Amino acid sequence: MNDPTLMGPCADYEHDLVELTDGALPRERAGIVQAHLAQCARCKAWTDAFAAFDARLATALPQPVLSPQFDARLRERIATLSRPATRGELRARLEHEHDDLIGTLARAARRRAVLGAAGSVAASLCVLVAMRDVLAQHAAQLQAVAGGAWVLPGALGALVVVGALAWSARAGTLPLLGFSR
Amino acid sequence: MDDGIEQHLAAGRHARAFDLLVPAYRDRVFRLSYSILKDRAAAEDAAQETLVRVWKALPGFDGRAALGTWIYAITRNTCLMELRRRRPQVSFDDPDSAEAQHAAESIATGPAEDPERDNLLRLLETLPRNQQEAVRLFYLEDRSYEAVAGQLGMPLGTVKNLLHRARKRLMELARPDEVKAA
Repeated sequence: MNDPTLMGPCADYEHDLVELTDGALPRERAGIVQAHLAQCARCKAWTDAFAAFDARLATALPQPVLSPQFDARLRERIATLSRPATRGELRARLEHEHDDLIGTLARAARRRAVLGAAGSVAASLCVLVAMRDVLAQHAAQLQAVAGGAWVLPGALGALVVVGALAWSARAGTLPLLGFSR
Repeated sequence: MDDGIEQHLAAGRHARAFDLLVPAYRDRVFRLSYSILKDRAAAEDAAQETLVRVWKALPGFDGRAALGTWIYAITRNTCLMELRRRRPQVSFDDPDSAEAQHAAESIATGPAEDPERDNLLRLLETLPRNQQEAVRLFYLEDRSYEAVAGQLGMPLGTVKNLLHRARKRLMELARPDEVKAA
């Protein structure tokens, strides 16, 4: 309970005490801190404990070193990169780049087509819904004019429009909807 | 030290500059990689990869940043890519993450001759990642705050705070029984 290391150092000196232990405190400040240490049992006990802990930690941590083959391995890699590529390597590299490019283009085209088709179907449905309301309002008038014969051709016409829009979007030729890049 | 290298770079002698740069930086690049990756072989591979990238990018080095700052940034990026490659879903800031558990286990499976040392290393794994890196690097770099700040790309004050908090916390964790008794 009375162990001064457990109470911690004086708050004003804590950071300085750590830097003093690390040997990183400027000389002028180090003198002031050491004078404080000489008269403060709490700070002295805490600093001693910290220094002991610091030494334990330094010993505990691994100190890995590079393997002796490191330089030779690096030189070999650099040499491989420096020498001109053979025809076979150049061809393989070009083929790889070509495949990558084709793959990227195909993915972009698929994405555009799906978005375009979905967008055009949604737009067509919106148009149909809007038309339905208008038609419902004027149904009596239209029936009087055309005797109901307009319903079938009208529905077929709407289907053709939706189909055309979807096909057009799938083919990537519907830039007006803003889905194409 | 960098003056000679930069003179060669300015004169377009990149190969000569690289020859001088490797012995000047390879160990620090390796130690920085080790502090991030916590594995000697992986750190050596990352150091190789970093220096190859430096070699490739050297003709484009414009000198706006110091050479060391530039090289350490490439090192950190290389190591972060390696960490992402290993475990894409892991949060490395979480001490309870699978990565932290894995690292703690790998320490536990090492030579069990010094339980106190093993315990200390295990406790280090419980700290946030940036504190762990700072602590490892600090002791690898002979307790140089400046070296740690330069390599981690952080202000000196930030590094001092990180190290202070990390070691104070470790000291508390290393003697929980005494603290509880108090």
